[in-house]
Amino acid sequence: MAIAEFLLFVLTTTLGGMFLCGANDLITIFVAPECFSLCSYLLSGYTKKDVRSNEATTKYLLMGGASSSILVHEIELQEIVNGLINTQMYNSPGISIALIFITVGIGFKLFPGPSHQWTPDLYEGMLHSWFSSFRDYECNRSIRRQKDHPKMIISWLLRTNQIRWFFFSIFLTCSYGTKVEKIEKNQSFTTTDEGFLEKLRIIIAFLSVTSKVAASASATRIFYIPFYFSSNEWHILLEILAILSMILGNLIAITQTSMKRMLAYSSIGQIGYVIIGIIVGDSNGGYASMITYMLFYISMNLGTFACIVLFGGLPPLAGFFGKLHLFWCGWQVGLYFLVSIGLLTSVVSIYYYLKIIKLLMTGRNQEITPHVRNYKRSPLRSTNSIELSILFFQN
Amino acid sequence: MMLEHILVLNAYLFSIGIYGFITSRNMVRALMCLELILNAVNINFVTFSDFFYSRQLKGNIFSIFVIAIAAVEATIGSTIVSSIYRNKKSTRINQSTLLNK
Repeated sequence: MAIAEFLLFVLTTTLGGMFLCGANDLITIFVAPECFSLCSYLLSGYTKKDVRSNEATTKYLLMGGASSSILVHEIELQEIVNGLINTQMYNSPGISIALIFITVGIGFKLFPGPSHQWTPDLYEGMLHSWFSSFRDYECNRSIRRQKDHPKMIISWLLRTNQIRWFFFSIFLTCSYGTKVEKIEKNQSFTTTDEGFLEKLRIIIAFLSVTSKVAASASATRIFYIPFYFSSNEWHILLEILAILSMILGNLIAITQTSMKRMLAYSSIGQIGYVIIGIIVGDSNGGYASMITYMLFYISMNLGTFACIVLFGGLPPLAGFFGKLHLFWCGWQVGLYFLVSIGLLTSVVSIYYYLKIIKLLMTGRNQEITPHVRNYKRSPLRSTNSIELSILFFQN
Repeated sequence: MMLEHILVLNAYLFSIGIYGFITSRNMVRALMCLELILNAVNINFVTFSDFFYSRQLKGNIFSIFVIAIAAVEATIGSTIVSSIYRNKKSTRINQSTLLNK
């Protein structure tokens, strides 16, 4: 378990994701997610001695392989569509079939509603060797994570109002976030247990965030540019996906007893909200709202997986502002049904977030609570200033 | 008429691949079905590149990329299979019941 392979996998995964965000070609849209996914399989199977993580990797690999093949089929159908569009046939059924395939293929990467089976298994299998004895160790660590984020850089990039810069800034924060976590561990990556668990934590945080960001970025480009003329059809498809993921993710999360699985299901629900942003599109700043929500989601998730016990009630509250903007954009465009379902499921999600806080406050480890208070104060400061800068510069 | 024959062949191979992938208890068989699916897509690409862009190579280039990526995916799949085999001495998928709700 040397460090060289680990770094190689992480960097190549990030590279694949970045290529995906800047993709202009159908070939890049296929090769870049493949590069990303293949390195993610390797990352998730990094602990080869651990049987549960092997099983999680198997499931991830099989589902990922199937979805990639479906995506390839879609791209081939897309090429048919290009050929047909050259001959002026806009409403052929080939376009609808191509749409269905691509929604399935991309839908897996984002894991909205129907394709979410592998996510909780993956999260749980990779982190099952987490013992509560390390919790205090992690709490001490979290206090030191108050370095400056590139807030001003992000707001400046957003000001230029180009979608490519938006996506790149998301990736910047993403990779920067993981680097901050790595630097904060003032420990060499040896084969001791503690360094090992940190690597796992980094892996899971990284995987959970970057795959979503990359996939949603590619989804916006794919759905908006080539399929512009059949926008009604993919609106309907994405609406169905959003509804399914919001409902399924939040309802199943209530019944979970394992915190890792609950977080996995809550992230499935979050993707439903993001899909609303994709549907809204460029009018009324739909893409911008999706991106702000993704930023909150990134900070929330990185903090979560880095320090699983200290979720805190404040990240959801700061994220509510992004959610509010998403819902407002959706309401203006006219997606009343979607937005009402989103509101209902947000109320539901408050329930299981509060359950975590209740466990924190009344838990048996009383010595954690001063660290909890310190941690809860820091996201408030950092995410509020991000909010202010983004909202100020969006106009 | 030639085009439809090849499209039917492609659809047939694709469906066989998907069916084998879903209903295989062995992981090596699942990887083979994955290869089958990707090769079916390759045939389709080459056919359509001949049909639409006769003088350019717009579809064939994609086939080369798909071949390379299928090779990489098979490699990584075999790696995972071998690490599972070392731990468990079997490659049956339906024995993976450790991660349940």
